[in-house]
Parts: sequence; C-alpha cells; structure tokens
Amino acid sequence: MSVALFCKLKEKGEVKVAKSTQPRSKVLARQETFTAYMFLIPSLFFFITFVIVPMVMCVFNSFFDYTSTSFNFIGFGNYVRMFQDEIFMRALKNTILIVVVSVPAVVIFSLWVASAIYKMSNFALSFYRCVFYLPVVTGSVAVTVVWKWMFNKYTGLFNYVLNSAGLIEENISWLGDERFAIWCIIIILFTTSIGQPIVLYVSALGNVDKTLVEAAQVDGATDLQTFWKIKWPSIMPTTLYVLVITTINSFQCFALIELLTSGGPNNSTQTIMYYIYYVVFKLDQFGYGNAMGVILAIIIALFSALQFKLGSEN
Amino acid sequence: MKKIFAMLLACMLVFSLVACGGNDAPAGDQAADTTEITLWTYPVGKFGDEATVKGFIEKFNAVHPEITVKVEYLDYTNGDNQVTAALEAGTAPDIILEGPERLVSNWGRKGKMVDISDLWADTKADIEAQSPAVVAACQENGVFYEYPFCMTTHCMAINYEVFEQAGALQYLDLETRTWTTENFKKALEAVAGSGLVQETGVVYCGGQGGDQGTRALVNNLYSGKFTNEDYTLYTADSAENVKALTELKAYTDAGILSYDAGIVAADELQLFANGTIGMSFCWNAANEANYASQVQFTPYAMAFPSDDGTPELCGGIWGFGIFNNEDDAKIAAAKTFIKFICDDETQGKESVKATGFFPVKASYGNVYAGTEDEARMGNYTSMMPYLGAYYNVAPNWAEQRTAWWGMLQEVFAGTAVEQAVATYTGAVNK
Repeated sequence: MSVALFCKLKEKGEVKVAKSTQPRSKVLARQETFTAYMFLIPSLFFFITFVIVPMVMCVFNSFFDYTSTSFNFIGFGNYVRMFQDEIFMRALKNTILIVVVSVPAVVIFSLWVASAIYKMSNFALSFYRCVFYLPVVTGSVAVTVVWKWMFNKYTGLFNYVLNSAGLIEENISWLGDERFAIWCIIIILFTTSIGQPIVLYVSALGNVDKTLVEAAQVDGATDLQTFWKIKWPSIMPTTLYVLVITTINSFQCFALIELLTSGGPNNSTQTIMYYIYYVVFKLDQFGYGNAMGVILAIIIALFSALQFKLGSEN
Repeated sequence: MKKIFAMLLACMLVFSLVACGGNDAPAGDQAADTTEITLWTYPVGKFGDEATVKGFIEKFNAVHPEITVKVEYLDYTNGDNQVTAALEAGTAPDIILEGPERLVSNWGRKGKMVDISDLWADTKADIEAQSPAVVAACQENGVFYEYPFCMTTHCMAINYEVFEQAGALQYLDLETRTWTTENFKKALEAVAGSGLVQETGVVYCGGQGGDQGTRALVNNLYSGKFTNEDYTLYTADSAENVKALTELKAYTDAGILSYDAGIVAADELQLFANGTIGMSFCWNAANEANYASQVQFTPYAMAFPSDDGTPELCGGIWGFGIFNNEDDAKIAAAKTFIKFICDDETQGKESVKATGFFPVKASYGNVYAGTEDEARMGNYTSMMPYLGAYYNVAPNWAEQRTAWWGMLQEVFAGTAVEQAVATYTGAVNK
C-alpha cells in the first residue's frame, strides 16, 4: 500500500492505526522523499550547471557592453539597439516567415502522410517510415551538400530539369537570388522536419480507440466526420507536441543558413539564430548577442504558450 | 537496500564533480621535467596535414625532448569561432599559426598575444631584405605579435587552352603575366563569344571565403586602393573603386562576365577546375598544386587586370603568434618551438616548402631549387614584385569582410553603386 493511499484511507477512517505507528509513516515518507531527491541530484546538477546557469548568465550579460576587451553595464542599451538594427529586424521578419510557413506545412503534410500509411502492412509502413525519417538521421551537413548541388546555378539538377523542359531560358542562382533563397531554405527545412512528426502521427493514429471509430461508422459518420470528430481530438496531444517542437526548430534554424547562404543574398536569409552567431563569433559582441538570445527565447516561449493554450482548449 | 542505493548515488555525484573539476597540480617528476604546449594551426598548406606536422614535431623533439607539443587542426570555416570560444573560456592555445589580420589586428590589438619582438632580433634585417611590408604587417606600434616564415601573392588564373582557341591570348602579356583593363574586356568578349565555356568567369559573393580575389579584381581595374595609406579607413567609395564596380556590373549586364551570390571561392575554384568557367579570381601557388590532379587543361596564373598594366596583388603572410596564458615556462617553450620551425638550418626551409609558398627570409633564396616544384613555383616568383600593400591590418577587419560580399551582392542585384559603397563604408569606417 502506498503512503499516499494509506494516508487517504486513514483520513476517511477506513484504516485504524495505532498511535505508535504514525511517526513511523512520516519517517517512511521522509525516507522515500530523500531517496527521490538523491535520484534527482545527478541530473539536477547537470541541468542547473549546463542549462539554468547559462540562461541566467545570458540574461545578466545582455545588460552589458560585453566584448573581448570590455564589460560595462549599459542597462537596456543592447535591447534598444536591437530594435534600431535593420539587419536584426530583417532577421526577425525572415525567422517569423520561416515559422509561419514551415510549421503548418509540416503538420498538415505529416498528418496527411501518416493518415495514408498507418493502415498499411507492417512492411510497407516500415518502408515509408524509413523513407521519411532518412533525412532526419542523415545529418544536416550531408543533406545540405546534396541540396547545394541540386540548387547549383551551373551544374544543378533543378536548372537542368527546368532548362530541359523549356521552363527557363537562363540558369537561376537559386541560393544567390533574393527572390528564391529563403524559399529554398524553407523547402530543405521542411524535408528535414517531417520525419519525426510522421512517425509520431502513425503511432498516434494507430492508438485511436477503434471502438469509438466503429461506433461512429455504425451511426453513419462519413470518413471525414470520423476523422474530425473522433481521430483529430484523440491525436491532439501529439499535434500539440509536433507544433511546439517544429516551432522551436524553425525558430532556431541555423545550420542550413550557415552551410548554404551565410544569411545572404542581401540578408534575405538572415535569421535571428544566424545573426546571433555572426554578432558573437565574428564581431565578438557577446552582450548584444545575449540580448538577442533573450528576445528569441521570449518569442519562442510566447509562441509555445499560445500553442499550448489553443491545444488545451481543443 | 535503499541505503546502498543512496550511497551509490552520492558516490556518482562526487565522481561527476571530480570529473568536471580541473587538475592544475603537476603530476610528479615528469611534469617538472617537461613543458607541454599546445599548437593550433589553420590549414596553411600542409600545416593542415597531421602526418606532416607530426613529422616536424618529431624532429623538434629530437632536439628538444623537454618540450611536448599537442596539436589541434583548425579550418577556416570554424577556426575563428573555436579561438573566440577558447579565449573567453580561458583555454586558448599557446601557439597559433595564421596571418597578421588575425594575430596582429584582431587578437594582438585586443591584448591577447605576447610581444615576441625578441624572436625578431637576429632575423629582422633578413626579412626586411625580402619585403619591408612583411615586417610592417607583423607588428603594431612597434610590438611584434607574429613571427612569419612564408608569404605569397594571390593572383588569378585562366584556362590557357580556352583562351588560345577563343583567340584571347593576344590580349595577355604572357611574359609578365599582366593585362590591361581594356584588354581584359576584349578577352572576356572573345571567350564569351567562343562558347567554349559556360561562363567566362564568376564574381563570387556568397560569403567571405577567398574575398581577396574579388577585392583585388575591383581595386586593380582602375588602380583604386582598398584603404588609405595608414590603413585606418576603407576607401571602397573612391572614384576609382566606384568606376571599377560600375564596370564589372556592366560586364555582367552584357553577359561577358557572371556573378553569383550563391557561391564562394571554393565553389568557384571547383567550377574552374571542372572547366565550367574560363578563369578563376582566387588563385595562388598552393591552389595550383591542390587542383593539379583535377584539371584537364593548363591553368595559367595571371595578375589582375589594371588600367595602367601595373597590378598590385594582395599578399598572404603566415607565421606564428603566442597567446598570453600567463605561464612564462610555456611562453619560453613556445618561442623555442617557433624558432625551430622557422629558423632551424634545415627545418626552416622544410617548413616553407610544406606551405607551398615562399620564404619571408631573403637568405633562404629559392627553396624549391632542384625540386619537382621548381618550374611551377617559378611562375609565381615572377609575380612577387607585384605584391601590394598589406592592408589586412586595418580596423574592423572581420566586419569589413562580411560587409564586402554584402556590398557586392547589392551592386550586382541592381542597387546603385554609390549607394552600396556608402552603406559599406558607413558600416566599417566607425
């Protein structure tokens, strides 16, 4: 009998306890609590050291003109500068564009693919899961090298196909043209982001209570009605998780930018994460970079809170 | 049982704390006898090759067994980030191999480097005899932060066979490896008209890699300067540079030259090596060696075109600097290592040859004489007199590098040249 259940029954008077045993239960509870804390301490130590402390340092440093050679308190100076910085505002706009486009696209496409494949045989299901999960496990550098070749102006696949089909007359520098570069990044991000949501949705759809689905079908519900009234609410926790994770990943888009465009052309693919990296590691402006990191964290937290709120209401 | 568990967890915690902790105490007699130093090296020729560097250290240890050298190999993509992180964490290496733009104008100016003027005492005259610009570049206000051992000029290259078949060789002075701006345009027209290559050349501006090539191209066309004489202001907005950028934009509009904001120098070099384009703006002796096995044509090194036919080429100077880790024993050991690598009677020349560049010391003469590289390196020796000012020590160098390719992107995307250069100079002349 657990301590909690024991205490509950005792309150209801269903368990009679001799007075002499009461201190013993408290001792037991204290021992169990102590053991639980002891189990927590190693991970808590690493969590505090490598997550909480850096976060606090980040907030602290954001109020300083912190470079390789100076460390002067400037209050909200970095935050004021940030919103007067045209490149930061461009990066913010690009980042939000990436999130707004890629998150719904990832969720809708993943749900569609998962709906189509989750009833297939084990072999077919495993095959499709492998296909869609491959870009995730391949690693962003290897994937990016292949995409870079496909987007190449002179020897790339896209120009070859479009030229052969007579759709373009001149080769296009996909990653070097302001009109296309950000969309190229979004496409690559999309392909590397759908693997995990598809696997999660396949699992979630497979776990939907079949009796509810069958009951709805017996009552004459169409497939669409069954999906919206039965399956969609059942997989809402998965959707919420996918939304939050994809949003955070999209906000933190960095490797693709670093490997493909360095934020160009003309800052058209500049994102907040890449700009933080540039300001910190190229210009040694650690305080300013920290301030941008704080703002990015706040924006991500707001987006995630909004998603949790909407998800819980549904 | 629970007590045993609790004890185990407590032990784990203690072990993890111990594992995370440092150990600054010397480990017995061995630590007292030997000094361990760390070397971080950028890939300057074969100094990025583990086997080569290991061989050099073995030779050093044969003479100085009391010094242990640990090496870490950096690349130009992430090397600066690693050094920045190490400096902030207080884990900077003892020695670093790179050029004055990092050793002097970045880390030296920030007070992170040791004054190594004493290393220059015996050799300054020898280096000055080769190039006074090298001596000037390795110091700031009389304090030396770099001890150099090799140098080169960055140039461009053409596909000789393509130029020959296109009838464009007539516009080149093959003997002096120079050409005028007027002849450059004629050569571009001839090569573009021949259809022998997909593009004549590409002004790459997708990132800062190999930006010395595009800087030299712009500056030479109408004899513009990259900075003022005392290297304190960037002068991209000079009339000569504006004229050059306008001219290059006109070339791209006319289809006789291309630009690409999606590639950097490494991509351009590969396109050149593949024969896709007819010239490279990012060439030097080391690149010729690196791409030798890939090219199916003769890459002919040329100076950048200039209106008066007298080019000024960007230089590269590489050497060692010592980070100030406030350990006199390590600083002394680092100096001993640097002296051996740069000045030892036999190792000094071997070190230069490993880079694929030229010695900074006049007394070394032709280090490639009698080797299989003699003829190839001779081609580049003829361009050494064109070595221009070493302006890489100007302030805000790191910011300038990013602003430069951003400016090129703006110019070729259609922004007025005057406006683009004004944005650039406004950002870097602070």
